[in-house]
Amino acid sequence: MAKGFGSTKVPPTRNATKFMRAFAQCLAKAKGDKQKINQFLQKNCHQLNDDLLAALPHLLPKLAVDPMFGDRENVARLLCNLGFHLIEFPLGDRACNLEIAIAALQAANKVLTHKAHPENWATVQLNLGNAYVLRIQGDRAASLEQSIAAYELALQVFTRDAFPENWAKVQLNLGSAYQNRIRGDRASSLEQSIAAYELALQVFTRDAFPEDWAKVQLNLGNAYQNRIRGDRASSLEQSIAAYELALQVFTRDAFPENWATVQLNLGSAYDARIRGDRADNLEKSIAALELALLVRTQEALPEDWARTQNNLGFAYGDRIKGNRADNLEEAISRFEKALDIYTRDAFPEDWARAQQNLGNTYRERLKGNPLENLATALHYYQQAEQVFTQTAFPLPWARNQSEWAAALMKRWGLTGDLQDGETAIRMLRGALTEAVPGSPDFIDAQYRLGNALSRRFEHSQETADLEQALAAYKAALGAINPEHYDRAKIWQALPTTQSILGSRLVRAGEWQEGLEILLNSVRLLREGDDSQAHANALYQTAVAHETLSDWDNARLYYRDALRLYARLEDSVGIAKSRYGLGSALASQGYFKKGMAELSQARDLYIELGKTQAATTVEGLLTTAQRAEQQLQTQMQDVMP
Amino acid sequence: MTTADDLFDQAASNVQRLGLREIPFTESPPDLESDTLQYIFTGRDKELTRVFNLFQSQERRRILVYGRIGIGKSTFLREVLSVLRHKRPQMLTAYLSLPADLDLATTALIAVAREMPDDDWAQQQLYQMGIPTSKPLKQRSSEISAKMVMGAKTGETDLPITKPLSASVSLDTLLERSRQDYPQGVLIAIDDLDKRNPSVVRQMMHDAQDMLKGRAWFMLTGHPMGITGDLLTSERGLFDLQLKLEELDQPTTYKMLINYLNSVRIGEAFTDPADPRSVRPFLPETAAAFCEASRGKPRLFNRLGGILLNTAADMQVDTITPEVLAAGLRAATPALRERAALTLQEERVRAFLKRHGPISDDTITLEELEELGFRSFNELLPLLERLESADLAYQQEDEDGEKVFAPIPLPEPEEPPSPEQP
Repeated sequence: MAKGFGSTKVPPTRNATKFMRAFAQCLAKAKGDKQKINQFLQKNCHQLNDDLLAALPHLLPKLAVDPMFGDRENVARLLCNLGFHLIEFPLGDRACNLEIAIAALQAANKVLTHKAHPENWATVQLNLGNAYVLRIQGDRAASLEQSIAAYELALQVFTRDAFPENWAKVQLNLGSAYQNRIRGDRASSLEQSIAAYELALQVFTRDAFPEDWAKVQLNLGNAYQNRIRGDRASSLEQSIAAYELALQVFTRDAFPENWATVQLNLGSAYDARIRGDRADNLEKSIAALELALLVRTQEALPEDWARTQNNLGFAYGDRIKGNRADNLEEAISRFEKALDIYTRDAFPEDWARAQQNLGNTYRERLKGNPLENLATALHYYQQAEQVFTQTAFPLPWARNQSEWAAALMKRWGLTGDLQDGETAIRMLRGALTEAVPGSPDFIDAQYRLGNALSRRFEHSQETADLEQALAAYKAALGAINPEHYDRAKIWQALPTTQSILGSRLVRAGEWQEGLEILLNSVRLLREGDDSQAHANALYQTAVAHETLSDWDNARLYYRDALRLYARLEDSVGIAKSRYGLGSALASQGYFKKGMAELSQARDLYIELGKTQAATTVEGLLTTAQRAEQQLQTQMQDVMP
Repeated sequence: MTTADDLFDQAASNVQRLGLREIPFTESPPDLESDTLQYIFTGRDKELTRVFNLFQSQERRRILVYGRIGIGKSTFLREVLSVLRHKRPQMLTAYLSLPADLDLATTALIAVAREMPDDDWAQQQLYQMGIPTSKPLKQRSSEISAKMVMGAKTGETDLPITKPLSASVSLDTLLERSRQDYPQGVLIAIDDLDKRNPSVVRQMMHDAQDMLKGRAWFMLTGHPMGITGDLLTSERGLFDLQLKLEELDQPTTYKMLINYLNSVRIGEAFTDPADPRSVRPFLPETAAAFCEASRGKPRLFNRLGGILLNTAADMQVDTITPEVLAAGLRAATPALRERAALTLQEERVRAFLKRHGPISDDTITLEELEELGFRSFNELLPLLERLESADLAYQQEDEDGEKVFAPIPLPEPEEPPSPEQP
């Protein structure tokens, strides 16, 4: 180093050296007993700090000359072991522990070269891959890429023929890295993940490697749960089936932690499940998650405990059985519990997700003041966005935008503030630029956009809004699984929008297209169970026929609308249908019958206090009376 | 002789025993070219008069014939054309049932071109559309090569098949070409508009306005504008005459029966309705009862008549006595149902109609609709119309213009007696 420029200060290594000596002794005594090593690490938790991290890169030359450690290679192996055990150590400052693990492994990597020590080198790669997958600090997307790269390197040595077990282990871990990958196409990453797991199962058979086999089943369950391609309903069934297989080995007695992990994931799979009774699935989900908590206690496994609480928050938020208001309070309390562990610094992603979940729950909350709840919800989404930025986390960002927009739309509904609607539409459009087409987030965002645009139409009266709403609903409907329980609501939104668009087009003179859209909406609504929407569509179709002077069809559809409105006890619907029916009958010259309908419509409007409508009907009634009298006079003249 | 041969002869002699060469009743209207039409066409004097009055003027006219399914629209149209063909030889009459997937202009073009077999250009139009022509058409390539310096080869190649770029322009050209041979003009009759989706017909009429206002006469047949409303008021204004065909009255139906029977009678024909021999093998009373059962609807008349004579032939009788008539009418409902090949849902509607009696949009309740699996009458309507077209229901309009559907009152077949316990 050039004189006068100062020198890089080498951090003090004395404590680090002391720690490594202790660790080396522990390792020798433990003889592979993980519990003993964990006890050591727990005892020396305070030493796993930034000082150790800073000292690690400089430690190797010092330790290599210490007779206790032997040669450089041995020191490197010791560092590799430290890395390995820190990756598995659940307590202390996890983020820092993982940084220490990575530093230790990188130091080892410099000594244990591919050429000289291929097997050791590959082991270091494998562990580096594991550490990067779990890494909390730094850019998560980049860490996952580094992890995948490290696994791919490990596979250069760990081939299936030479090292079948290690090969399978890397496949398992590679699968997991692809499953969590942020960059690249999410759908293909998940397919790659599933493929890697399937490869791992070639070696990890149930008889030969029950534990690994079960681990792969667990991961396969997760991958199927998140899968985007393929039929979502069957993927979720496959996911549940894989978890059930995993539980054959991961019993509560033999593998309490893994058993709890499977319960956790089984819980979220039941929450997401499409087939079967939704209410029952949610109960199963809650039951599984509560089981998981038996092992995943806050003291023993704080991170896992937090994740389980978070998922319980989800399940309670969705719960159908029980009192909805109470369920939502329970959900809030669970999310808040998760935040005890998920601090922003230690677990930024989980923290942000919990913020978002709290936002969603406050948005739906029934207790308390609705506007205040929405304000709280908006605050949480804002918080979440501090971590979930579009560049760093495009998909979580898109979901956050979409949920945020839903809260704004709710407020728009309450206050009528159009600005909220405009913001929501902008956010949803933004979310759709990132959401993976076909994914649940994509479907949600399209459906919400459809709702927002068709509501904006009520103010703007712009046909374009309706057309775009229709396109959004169609996109959502095209992507959603035919068996999905949410399909019905989208499915019904589509024809409802169609009927409004259809009647608008008819009024605008595009009657051919308008009527076709209307009739289509009537056809679709027939199958559904939304009688109100069906009645409205029938009414609109009648109006369209009347506009086209097709009196017979106008009568037909007014009567159909009238019957449904009567069933729904919708007085306004009854009045307007009778008005239309009377007008159609009078237009055809059936004055007596027409006037009977018109007077009923008038009386009903008066009863409803709708004087202006009553006056309009009265006007038509007078005209019809006059026309009938004229006709009678003419008849008298003709008749002798 | 085989057994089958014997059976054939037996069947023929069973019909001959009734004094008839064959069974005269048919499901579809007789061909324009056949003589049968003149024999059997009965009544509609007022309607024919209104149509023929129009033909006494040089002014081109557009006529719409409408009425319920099976009321005899096609037969009426053919009768008009048949009369015009011998009364107005200098008028070209073209008839075509509207084919699926074709617009009115192309249909009209095909109909006219087929009636002009000696016009090369007309035949070329058909040929280009891939429709067989009476003469094989070839394009002389020498005509083309004449313009080319190198072209010495003379030969013939098939013309490529193409759709007319503009059917209405081609039609116009064709009408122009026909003027020399047919100075009294061209009548284009397009049948069966109602066999197509109402909204398609609506659009077709809309698109064909210019053509309809052009240089030819037009006669179209369609549904009543009632419930399926094929035509808009604005488009109905296109027609100089909208002719509604109603059910035939009882004396006319009786006369029609005489005409049908005489068209196949072995030996001398008797035309006077007062003469009981005119309706043989019917007795006057069974003839009248049969006419009543067919409700003045020509297609039902034909269907029932066919079933009735077949029953009588099977029974090997020579006279349709009240007992034979009852047996024939009892056989009608199952025969009509079998022919209709109803879907399960249509069958449910039929059973409901029979149990409930007449139903209309005005009186049906939501509960009744739900009983049938519907929530609106517009869903039920196509099924009722299907039953109507299968002659298992009929429609009447009451004084308020309400369309009432009722079951056709035919006796149900007798249940076989349940076996007694020994």
